[in-house]
Amino acid sequence: MAQRHNDLLQTLVALTAVLVVISLYTVFVVAPTEQTMGHVQRIFYYHVASAWVGFLAFLVACVGGLLFLANRSLLWDTVSAASVEIGLLFSVIALVQGSLWARPVWNTWWTWDPRLTTTLVMCLYYSATMMLRQLGGSEERSARVGAVLSIVGFVNVPIVFLAIRMWRTIHPVVFTTAGFAVAPRMLLALLASLLAFTALYACLLWMRIRVTQLARDISRLRHGLTSRRTL
Amino acid sequence: MNNLVYLVAAYAFAWLAILAYLYSIARRQRRLEHELKVLQRTLDREKAER
Repeated sequence: MAQRHNDLLQTLVALTAVLVVISLYTVFVVAPTEQTMGHVQRIFYYHVASAWVGFLAFLVACVGGLLFLANRSLLWDTVSAASVEIGLLFSVIALVQGSLWARPVWNTWWTWDPRLTTTLVMCLYYSATMMLRQLGGSEERSARVGAVLSIVGFVNVPIVFLAIRMWRTIHPVVFTTAGFAVAPRMLLALLASLLAFTALYACLLWMRIRVTQLARDISRLRHGLTSRRTL
Repeated sequence: MNNLVYLVAAYAFAWLAILAYLYSIARRQRRLEHELKVLQRTLDREKAER
């Protein structure tokens, strides 16, 4: 079973590596240079892909939390906790890349625009949930706290997504009701990046879950050893 | 041309952050696997002694 899991993970890692190379090729070779912003516009592809993985990861964390509360299986708690961690990583990447793009284009590193502000609030919230989990006490209680926090936190995700549609903003809107507001070759680079980052997310999630399960096995073995010695 | 610095910084930051996270997972996994081996050996030894 463990060998099969290893083989599957290796296949997923190889597939992700291929997708990443394809995404970099489409971003730097296939996609045309934007006329107004120039090369710096290429930040867009990985910026959107990182933000997408953040949203996806928080959705998975929310579903994991719901499933944990429904059947109390610690596996779902592991999925939820791992997904929050990865979602936070990619959301921070999206924020930093956005800032690096804003400097030459908006002439500022940061502005309290609705999209930027809601994204920052989302990052701060999930950072706090990771810390609160540590204070949860027993494994069961910590999992319950984590599940509730990831479900409640997900309320913020649609607000972040819709912020540029609900309020006045300088952040560009790419996904409109009429489709994607980008040139076809740019769209290709964007889709390749989205696919590569989704695969990367799957790899990281798998690896992170394995680490938590290993830690749990060790804790159980240790507990068994201690109780055997006290008998 | 100056804007290229921002492009390079954005991609470098993304990859460095992802690689640092991957490294931290790999390190934790190696440490836990070693710990598991040691524990298993201790358990086997205790079983043999009984």
